[in-house]
Amino acid sequence: MSELVDTFVRNAEAAGFEVHRGEAPRIAGAGVSRADYGVAATGSVVLAASHGEPRARHLVPEVHVSLLREDAIVADLAALFAALDGRIPSALAIVTGPSRSADIEQRLVVGVHGPREVHVVLEAS
Amino acid sequence: MSFPVLDEHPRKATDAATLRLFRARTAAWASLDDVQALRDRAYEIRMRAIDDLDAHLGQFVTALEAAGGKAHLCATAEEARATVARLCSGASLAAKSKSMLSEEIELNGALAAAGVEVVETDLGEYILQLAGEHPVHIIAPAIEKTKEDVARLLSAVEGVAIEPQLEALAQAARRQLQRVFQQADVGITGANFAVCETGSICLVTNEGNGGLVTSLPRMHIALLGVERLVPTLDDLSVLLQLLARSGTGQTLTTYTRLLTGPRHADEEDGPEELHVVVVDNGRKRIRDSRYKEMLACIRCGACLNVCPIYRQSGGAAYGTVYSGPMGAVLVPLLRGLEREPGLPHASSLCGACTAACPVKIPLHELLLELRRDLVGERIAPRAERFAFTVWSLLWSRPPLYRLSTRFVRFGSRFAALAGPGRVWAAGRALPQPARRRYRDMR
Amino acid sequence: MRRVQLFATCLGDLLFPAAVADAAALLRGAGCDIEFPPEQTCCGQPAFNAGHRRAAARFEQTFARAFSSELPIVCPSGSCASMVAHRMKTHYDIWELSAFLDAIGAEPPARNDGVRIAYHSSCHLLRELGADDAPRRLLERSGAELVPLARPDLCCGFGGTFSVRHPEVSVAMADDKLADGGRADVLVTADPGCLMQLQARGARLGTGRVVHLATALARGVA
Repeated sequence: MSELVDTFVRNAEAAGFEVHRGEAPRIAGAGVSRADYGVAATGSVVLAASHGEPRARHLVPEVHVSLLREDAIVADLAALFAALDGRIPSALAIVTGPSRSADIEQRLVVGVHGPREVHVVLEAS
Repeated sequence: MSFPVLDEHPRKATDAATLRLFRARTAAWASLDDVQALRDRAYEIRMRAIDDLDAHLGQFVTALEAAGGKAHLCATAEEARATVARLCSGASLAAKSKSMLSEEIELNGALAAAGVEVVETDLGEYILQLAGEHPVHIIAPAIEKTKEDVARLLSAVEGVAIEPQLEALAQAARRQLQRVFQQADVGITGANFAVCETGSICLVTNEGNGGLVTSLPRMHIALLGVERLVPTLDDLSVLLQLLARSGTGQTLTTYTRLLTGPRHADEEDGPEELHVVVVDNGRKRIRDSRYKEMLACIRCGACLNVCPIYRQSGGAAYGTVYSGPMGAVLVPLLRGLEREPGLPHASSLCGACTAACPVKIPLHELLLELRRDLVGERIAPRAERFAFTVWSLLWSRPPLYRLSTRFVRFGSRFAALAGPGRVWAAGRALPQPARRRYRDMR
Repeated sequence: MRRVQLFATCLGDLLFPAAVADAAALLRGAGCDIEFPPEQTCCGQPAFNAGHRRAAARFEQTFARAFSSELPIVCPSGSCASMVAHRMKTHYDIWELSAFLDAIGAEPPARNDGVRIAYHSSCHLLRELGADDAPRRLLERSGAELVPLARPDLCCGFGGTFSVRHPEVSVAMADDKLADGGRADVLVTADPGCLMQLQARGARLGTGRVVHLATALARGVA
């Protein structure tokens, strides 16, 4: 289990997340969501739209925080889809880092339409 | 028509961008345990759907409708335009997330004519829309634009000078497009894939505009090429492992979104209506031909990034929606070979595209087949067919080969005067036949 | 003595006979007994690649009458070897020159000590025949210092009829290849098509030395 978490942390940080353990950072104006899953192989958080989790929450604010239980981390995309087990939400967002674009002169700029800063707070199971 | 070479600046920009993307893909592929096996699986998944297209389409539509979405099957581009225009009636503003299919069917013009303001929200597409131009690369649409170009375009919108500096430009675009996200009646997107077993649309983006245009407006219209079907979610997971890696070198783009039907009754946002406009526009005809593998294309752009012609000429030289190797194959197949006879020859057949394709489409082999069809269907000019016939009749007969090549030194003096010799000699010395042929030397 | 059939190729026969003679010398030096079937002409690739399959079929017949499928055929051209190997119905034991020399463990004479050579992989050799290592190994064994090209993957711009259908692009591709190779003393290629394209553009520019692999190995380029 902890190897999965370590893989997740490594890949999430490489994708541009700031990963915290335990205590969520307090950032004014940040959107805070409970992530349904984490994907270790890609370092992604998975947010399902539902009552209480609007789609725009992880898109409109400039900073977004995902709360993720360690035991909700799955190995890869195939495992994620298997875990859904036929219960497909109306919108499932697999988020892998901050909003970014390289459309201007192929140079990376962050926070184009979605958040420029993204955090994951790992909660021990 | 002979392709021109880009001017110095756009050529350098195109070269730098494609090289960077090529290297990023190579590194990303190298990081996989067995990329060849993954490519084989991806090919199998794509062909499985294509080989039984109607059944898979039926399954997709059933599942989409069970989830509360609506499918609109459109045989032609015209039908698709009319369908979208009808769905948008009453709407004044449509926010668009990038869709090459919408370019293919020429949607924006039709919507404008119907009184709907359409604004592209993908940064590169927005820039091009402001410039009145079309994308020249599948995933890096504004590849030739400088930050000065972009600053000029964005400044004109606000009537205020914006610094030609990356952060300032991104902030300006974000600011300008916020209104669009908030006020749009309709969100229009493409669809990277459609999953048959769940009736879902998969959208792959980096900016977040795909999410915004499918969260805030009350209607979402997704344009789907009929060949972009993927049987199961498990199949989708294989293709997602290859798409971003092949397009940009990323493991996944920032947002991989799976949308299944409109919002549920108790959700705070999301579209009330989800319409999937499924477009044929010649794809089923390709499926029935020996070119059906071309339908496996997942629009990653990897072939453009390795094409030695694309890096010299850029996308606009092809004169079509889709450029580079995949465009040279797909466009004649969609539009008809007689309308695009030059595209299969816009290639030196180096084969780099085939090696780069994540779903193993044998692109250069398909170009060879198209060239064969150009001759077989008598689209290639008669003079050309005659010349090759005569040449082959002469040189396939050893006595005539020996005879005609004895005088090749004499004839070569005149080669620069006309035809291919003249074209060659414009930029290159004419090759000098040796005084003695090898067969005379031994 | 190993018997081989030599396929000079039409470009070799007419434009680069010295390179073909160099290829023959290398094969003899490696212990081969060479036959030159006199009824050989062209493999037909220019017609095949341009879509003229009936024309190409005539050349395929001529090739079948000229060559035996019982003995190895060696030719100093990756594109012609690829044409024979992959596009003809009869199975031939066809080899591009460097692949053959490497396979039989030939030792090229050490004529290239101190020479800096840039090697251009022709597209067929690189991608269809997968024989990218053999030419480099042979060049190194001849004493050369290999200078890697910045873009070894890029086509030289010949591509048969492409070179005259899209001349501006074709010439730009040659220019980039020549500039890339210009950091070495000599640019070496194993394909007569690439050789013709690059030498022709180099001659017009007044720059760049381009030589066939067989010449570089047999006579050296010092």
